Amino acid sequence: MIKRISWNLLITRYPAFFSTILLIVVLIVNAIVQPNIFKLDTLNGNMRIFLPLILLAVGQTFVMICGGIDISVGGIVSIINTILATQVGLNGSIEQMWKFVLISLLAGMLAGAINGFFIAILRLQPIITTYATGFIYAGFALFLLPNPGGGIPRVAADIYRTTTPLGLPLAFFVIIVVLLIWWYLRSTRYGRFLYAVGGNKESAYQSAVPVTWVILSTYVISGLMAAFAGIAITLLSGSGNAEIGNTMTLSSITAVVIGGTAFSGGIGGVAGPILGSITLGLIQNVISFAQINTWWETLVKALIIVVALAAPGVINLFGRRK
Amino acid sequence: MNVSLSARNIVKHYGGVVALSDGNLDVKSGEVLALIGANGSGKSTLSKVINGVVVLDGGQLLLNEKIVHFSSPQAAKDLGISIVFQELSLIPQMTVAENIWLAREPIITAGVIDKKLVDMKTMELISLFDGTYHTDLRPNTPVSDLPPDERQIVEILKAISFDPEVLILDEATASLDSRQVRRLFELVKQWKEAGKAIIFVSHRMEEIFQIGDRYTVLRNGKTVGSGDIQDINENDLVKLMIAEDSLLTFIRKEKNDRENQQPIFLEINHLRANNLKEISFNVKRGELLGIGGLQGQGQRDLLLSIFGDIPFKGDIKLNGEMVKFRHPRQAMKKGVALVPGDRAKEGLLYIRSILENLILPSWKKYGFPLNIKKSITDAEQIARNLKLIMAGLQEPVSSLSGGNAQKVVIGKWLLQSPQLLLLDDPTKGVDVGTKGEFYTLLSNLCDEGKTILFYSSDDEELLGLCDRIIVLHDGKLHIELSGDNLNKESLIRASLGGTHIGGV
Repeated sequence: MIKRISWNLLITRYPAFFSTILLIVVLIVNAIVQPNIFKLDTLNGNMRIFLPLILLAVGQTFVMICGGIDISVGGIVSIINTILATQVGLNGSIEQMWKFVLISLLAGMLAGAINGFFIAILRLQPIITTYATGFIYAGFALFLLPNPGGGIPRVAADIYRTTTPLGLPLAFFVIIVVLLIWWYLRSTRYGRFLYAVGGNKESAYQSAVPVTWVILSTYVISGLMAAFAGIAITLLSGSGNAEIGNTMTLSSITAVVIGGTAFSGGIGGVAGPILGSITLGLIQNVISFAQINTWWETLVKALIIVVALAAPGVINLFGRRK
Repeated sequence: MNVSLSARNIVKHYGGVVALSDGNLDVKSGEVLALIGANGSGKSTLSKVINGVVVLDGGQLLLNEKIVHFSSPQAAKDLGISIVFQELSLIPQMTVAENIWLAREPIITAGVIDKKLVDMKTMELISLFDGTYHTDLRPNTPVSDLPPDERQIVEILKAISFDPEVLILDEATASLDSRQVRRLFELVKQWKEAGKAIIFVSHRMEEIFQIGDRYTVLRNGKTVGSGDIQDINENDLVKLMIAEDSLLTFIRKEKNDRENQQPIFLEINHLRANNLKEISFNVKRGELLGIGGLQGQGQRDLLLSIFGDIPFKGDIKLNGEMVKFRHPRQAMKKGVALVPGDRAKEGLLYIRSILENLILPSWKKYGFPLNIKKSITDAEQIARNLKLIMAGLQEPVSSLSGGNAQKVVIGKWLLQSPQLLLLDDPTKGVDVGTKGEFYTLLSNLCDEGKTILFYSSDDEELLGLCDRIIVLHDGKLHIELSGDNLNKESLIRASLGGTHIGGV
């Protein structure tokens, strides 16, 4: 009994606890196989690669705190990537690029709003709805760009790849901005509403929380963050590929789960998933540096989800046996 | 502040079920209206209509003589109507302060919540119930860490934090102990004097007479009577509620006066567990032993230890045989059954049929492939014995009223023919008619030689039913009451920790 309470305390008060431990372990392993990891250049390169997933996981966190799940985010990332790669092109102007970045963000919010409409207003199951819309989005991306190709102007990609204000990677500043916005939101009513709806929809409704709008907003935010992730990954790769987002959905959910946000909703925060995304990126690093078959990567991710879900249960089990 | 609220001919359907067909009530500033009725009579629905949680299908709500429409709880709150829910409206993952001020948090600038002010105002509210808490209740305690009685208090604080003009207390005392109830009643009197109109929904007769100024009785969704409390007595009220004069003996079934000569069936020595300290007592075969005391003094842990659901130290002898159950399954094999208090959470599969719920622990008896016919016969037999009121065995348990759902929980264990029944506050939220049947059932079971350990938060029913009551206080067996000491005064004094019980 006592153990169960302290575990509850741990995960409700410090949702990033588990991800911090995991991150430290993975960092140590990584430092062994890749000794130059703490050099600024490597750090810059790594953060640049991790950023798309970080942004995606942050959006997913909003949805999951509210008790939902969004498995269409990979499809949205692919759409954004193909929009930019086909509409701007390798020889496009930088103005053209900015214009389509803006359009991408709107497209992401629209895709999220479609999810939100079905889930919040028509009250369909989140997992089924976003599974279906995810296929539609992925299909739309393939329609825009059937074969990998296209691209964005080199100048635009270089901004993302080489800008290092104060000598630190650009991604670092993006993360700080995201965290600041999150900390602000969390201390507003909207933040309370997120947790209230995720904790218990009925109770929240009875306490005059606008439940429908809160749920709808989380999917719009998730769509918006997926668009940011799509832009970041396009800047990173410089080219278009309609299947680029496919594997990112599972990763985003893994990152959120590692970050201490419960599948059941009502618990969690944004800091945990950011650490979780970095952890996943480092695991990928380890796998490529240690020359392990990439097949292991998916296995490791899946195992992390299982372990993260099972950990509280296992701890309770030992508490009971005592 | 001068306010009046009236409901006129309220109608509410849930699908094909009519919850309210003609609900009426009037309440005004400075009075407490007791809203009374058996389970399923529509009290909760009427409260919810008044509070805007459910939208009415017909009739009118009048606030200060003007017709009002509530399309949401927010609309009702804006007009000064607040409710304490029977099913709590708290969010367990959030803290006490966050729950109380949800959706009304004071803002500093740019939408940022003024946490200091929230904490301060929460402390003020918490202090209303000072001295009745078992835990160190703070504004930032997560609600999931609180025992049920304190969650109920937080729910009350949340409702009063609106400073409403009309306050509805829907079964708010059901999970409070007597000290907390007394404090609540003091507060209700203050609120009444401050001009609030209060609607008090309860099953407990003594509370209604203690706090109510006027009454309104609902039966099967209709208002069947109302008037001043001082013009009516308990019997007449009950008559109004149940409509049948034959059910008048609702609280007391004649006690078994003959000396119990049976051998000792359950012997407990030096039982220790998380909230229990050195408990020892014996129960004879066929005896109905009551467990009393304030809420949360370890009664539940005592039952759970015997049932093997929580770890414990000490000796338990069942029928002369030393047992140590590590899992409820082992306890069931030896003929021990536990009827949990929270039937929604622990006792029933609400969306499955009554038949399935009744047979669930006993499927083994029906072989492979299952002998469905025999299971139906057995279930019908049990349903008849329990006087279960239902549309059919195939209907889901969710279609039953609270009292009948509780009968299913007991029925499912009776099919196992247990020798020792552990009852964890089984009549909480059950209407008087069903309670009466329930008491008869318990007495019959004892006559059949079954042993019953009966924990109840209702002092009246403990005194009315049991030959002996052990009172727990702070995890210890405080005192045992029997014979001449078996009266209300001793029980309450013992519950509060007093030791000077006449003659002992």
